[in-house]
Amino acid sequence: MFAVKAVSGQFQQAGSSALYAATASLTDEGKLLIQCVNTAAVLAEVARPDYRFGTVLPGLPVEVQLRSGGIFRPDDASWRWPQQTAGSGMAAALESNRLSILAAVLLSPLLLWWIIVDLMPMLASASVLLVPDHIKQKMGEETFYTLQKTALQPTQLPATQQATVNYHWQMALQKLPLQQKNYQLYMYQSEFFGANAFALPNGTVVITDELVNLLQHNPDAIVAVLLHEIGHVEGQHSVRLVAQSLGATLVIGILFGNPDGVADLLLGSGSVLLQNAFSRDMEREADQFALKQLKTLGKSPTAFADAMSALLSSKETSPESEPALLKYLSTHPATRERIEQARQHQ
Amino acid sequence: MDNIASSDSSPIETTRQRPAKVQFSGQAGEFFGIWIVNLLLSIVTLGIYSAWAKVRTTQYFYGHTRIEQQPFRYLATPMQILKGRIIAVIIFALFTVASMLSPVLAVLLAMLFMFASPWLIVQSLKFNMRMTSYRNVRFAFHGDYVGALKYFVLLPVLSVFTLYLAMPWVLKKIDHFICTNISFGGVKMQVNTDTSSYYIAALVAAAAVFGVMTVAAIIGVVLIGIMAATGAGSAGAAIFLGSAGFFIMYFFAFTLSAAIYHCMIRNHLFERTELPEVAKFKSKMEVMPYLLLTVTNLLAIVLTLGLAYPWAKVRKTAYLASVTELLIYPKADTLVDEQQADSGAFGEEAAGLFDVDVSLA
Repeated sequence: MFAVKAVSGQFQQAGSSALYAATASLTDEGKLLIQCVNTAAVLAEVARPDYRFGTVLPGLPVEVQLRSGGIFRPDDASWRWPQQTAGSGMAAALESNRLSILAAVLLSPLLLWWIIVDLMPMLASASVLLVPDHIKQKMGEETFYTLQKTALQPTQLPATQQATVNYHWQMALQKLPLQQKNYQLYMYQSEFFGANAFALPNGTVVITDELVNLLQHNPDAIVAVLLHEIGHVEGQHSVRLVAQSLGATLVIGILFGNPDGVADLLLGSGSVLLQNAFSRDMEREADQFALKQLKTLGKSPTAFADAMSALLSSKETSPESEPALLKYLSTHPATRERIEQARQHQ
Repeated sequence: MDNIASSDSSPIETTRQRPAKVQFSGQAGEFFGIWIVNLLLSIVTLGIYSAWAKVRTTQYFYGHTRIEQQPFRYLATPMQILKGRIIAVIIFALFTVASMLSPVLAVLLAMLFMFASPWLIVQSLKFNMRMTSYRNVRFAFHGDYVGALKYFVLLPVLSVFTLYLAMPWVLKKIDHFICTNISFGGVKMQVNTDTSSYYIAALVAAAAVFGVMTVAAIIGVVLIGIMAATGAGSAGAAIFLGSAGFFIMYFFAFTLSAAIYHCMIRNHLFERTELPEVAKFKSKMEVMPYLLLTVTNLLAIVLTLGLAYPWAKVRKTAYLASVTELLIYPKADTLVDEQQADSGAFGEEAAGLFDVDVSLA
């Protein structure tokens, strides 16, 4: 047997903390021989299938692991075994190469941005098709039931006022080419929501007494608000928002692991900002839907601007504009921006 | 590098008891390359490579953490990590979707998760301990589901009824449960912590939060006074400054109290823990250096948009290693883990079907 080259290092038997100063040599046939430095005794002699090389990492020696559980570790951290497969050192080579590091620094943020901004909304829209109608039906019913028990009280609106709203609602439903068929409008009084309206995935649309009263002299503005809510249902926004949040949480969790305390706080606030961004995008989408359908109904898109202005003046006591940074903390686009959009809509 | 395997006899007998330090030789620059390249590969492979990244990163940190020139070793294979992650992703997705479908189902699932989490914790500790080895001898975790349910769920829930007054005692019990169930080469850890030390640490941490809030309130009042007196600044600016100030204060109080608690408890726990006849431990953490480290690490991460993360991680690991000391007894040199010596194979091949760490991280 002809030993090609002996490497000095240390050897340990399986499950034993005893250390031996040893040399390892590999023959051309792939036989591994480990000898004690002091006594020259053979500590291990194994053929190719009964040993393998450990992971190659920058700055660390590559150990040899025996099937029996023994380990030989070279003293020289830069020593590479000639018999290692070509691919084994590839990751380590990429990790220490300046060019690949530079490429990773540039590409990682770009790809991450692309995944979050383009890919995930796309996948979320596609996943909507996988959710059967009866599940959306159930989602809507369950949520509606919970809201009725907690945040909604029976409407106090006079019958004539309810009839007016219902009339405009029915006219809109008849004239518009809507994908979903079972739209239902409900009116409720709600201290919790105040002047507001919302839609559930099964086509349930709720408008509060407070909002109807706020817009009572402008029926077109009420229609505009209802169209915005229908836009949420047509765009399947509830399901998409869940899919996107799920996607974002998984991406961040898998790529960044669980960094301790402080960084966790940062990533946590990052995903809140991200969810709000998703939400703002969907509000804009619903706004665009409402503006388009207002024109289909032969009404002016400025009706939507009127509704927004009324909401703005009912909520804001001071004319102070929203601070620039706070917009990232909001689930809705700035109201002024939405009014501008409606006024400019062609 | 000097190896201790250099005396005349074979194997090398070190029959004396001696002190030792923990050395960490990882380099921020080197780890940066590993981190960023692995991040890119994980993104490109839609997360699959993240299992390899996790193994390489852990092996890098273990391999660079040495006691008496002997490194720790991480034995998990990427496939084991990948399996655990796939299971975790499926559970998490089902959980999210089910909660979305129905509020009632969400509550039921939360209850279910509460009773399943002790099993996951035990499973994770068992996996991570068994995958850690030093001088070719493995660690192990022996805790069971009932113990974990008691210490991680029942006691914390019951402490709510004591207005959290019992919480420091519960935290002591949790640390005790984890540490006494860890063994190295068949030798179980012995822990003898004091309840009073946990209460003192909690009190000092709470006092620090209170102190920071008092100082911040005084500064706030003075600022409002100045603004009112000079008529400077608008309401919007005041709201913005106020919320920013509140966030910074909240964050600082949180970091300070965490640093105080961590230092005091780690020092106490290490002081009172030993592997009989194998090793005793010592931790010499100090609040100010550790607080400074935490705050500068965070600032660096924020200012570089995350690129300083490898530097921060290496710096923190190096600090924690530098404040850790051991007293090693002769038996440490002749330990034989019977079970491990018998199991043969490359180790992980003997592992069972559920030998995974169900975790996203």
